[in-house]
Amino acid sequence: MNEEKEVEEQSIPLVLEKLEEHHADALLSQDEMRGTIVAVVRKEQVYAVLEYLKTDPELAYTFLVDVTAVDNSQMESELMQFDYARFMVVYQLYSYQGQCRVRVKVPVHENDLSVPSVTGLWRGANWLERETYDMFGINFEGHPDLRRILTPDDFQGHPLQKDYPLRGRGERESFNFDKQNA
Amino acid sequence: MGLTNTDIQSAQGAEQTDGNIITTTIDKVINWGRKNSLWPMPFGTACCAIEMMATLASKFDLSRFGSEAIRFSPRQSDLLIVSGRISIKMMPVLKRIYDQMPDPKWVISMGACASCGGVFDTYTLIQGVDQFIPVDVYIPGCPPRPEDLIDAVLQVQQKIASGASPKGVEHLLET
Repeated sequence: MNEEKEVEEQSIPLVLEKLEEHHADALLSQDEMRGTIVAVVRKEQVYAVLEYLKTDPELAYTFLVDVTAVDNSQMESELMQFDYARFMVVYQLYSYQGQCRVRVKVPVHENDLSVPSVTGLWRGANWLERETYDMFGINFEGHPDLRRILTPDDFQGHPLQKDYPLRGRGERESFNFDKQNA
Repeated sequence: MGLTNTDIQSAQGAEQTDGNIITTTIDKVINWGRKNSLWPMPFGTACCAIEMMATLASKFDLSRFGSEAIRFSPRQSDLLIVSGRISIKMMPVLKRIYDQMPDPKWVISMGACASCGGVFDTYTLIQGVDQFIPVDVYIPGCPPRPEDLIDAVLQVQQKIASGASPKGVEHLLET
């Protein structure tokens, strides 16, 4: 148990150093929160950073835990930090080898809602990116099958965007049984 | 058949004359049979389904009331138990299953979510399945206890014994 703890503590400065060394131009900020590294990365380099974190033998963040997004449109303090990018796409990674976690965040502007898909690195990213697309409207470029996954195929809008009304736009009262059964 | 005089008499309107002759109507006998062998189609989508499983298991034992023959094919069922929240994506599935069940058929809407949406007053959740399919018995609760489901099954049984039509065919009888 104590040995595991040591591994964790060693890895935190390691990943900070290595990211600074190899991808300094991609980093907008990096921080540590409750034992997790939080790295904010430019959209253009996010694929390279994630690939580096996964394939570097010392880091080996091989497990993509989650892909999701945050709509900061009502969080002025968050918006100001990254040039008023409305969305933040979030990747949670875990390294079995170092037993520690990294959170990679990518600011995405509303006028260009796209991020490169990481399905090439992790096949498990497929459905996670579909969910993020469905809920937030983020387009993952290069995704093999970017369809809605939770809401019906003919659903309009992206419900986890903050301007989407909680009770919806009448979807739950009006839908066409015949069309969906066909 | 194991059908005793007392059983037949318990069906409403049956009369026993001297000896072993019983007079009744064919409807009464059929309803007596239907009420004591409801075959439920479980439509469990949330925590209510866990309570439904408990109702069927040994501790509460729904088979005491003749309704333990769960069928996962709507073609073989006459009681639909909607237990759980129904999203707008699931509603066409539920409607289709209801349509596939042969008449006469009864529907129990189990729990707050199936009956009115419960706490989930959101874009994705049907606010009561009775907007789309006819419901005979509603069970309040979040989730209801197994006793509540047993009570609902007994209410369906009473309804059948009384000769009342299922909610799903009432509109046909009116025209």
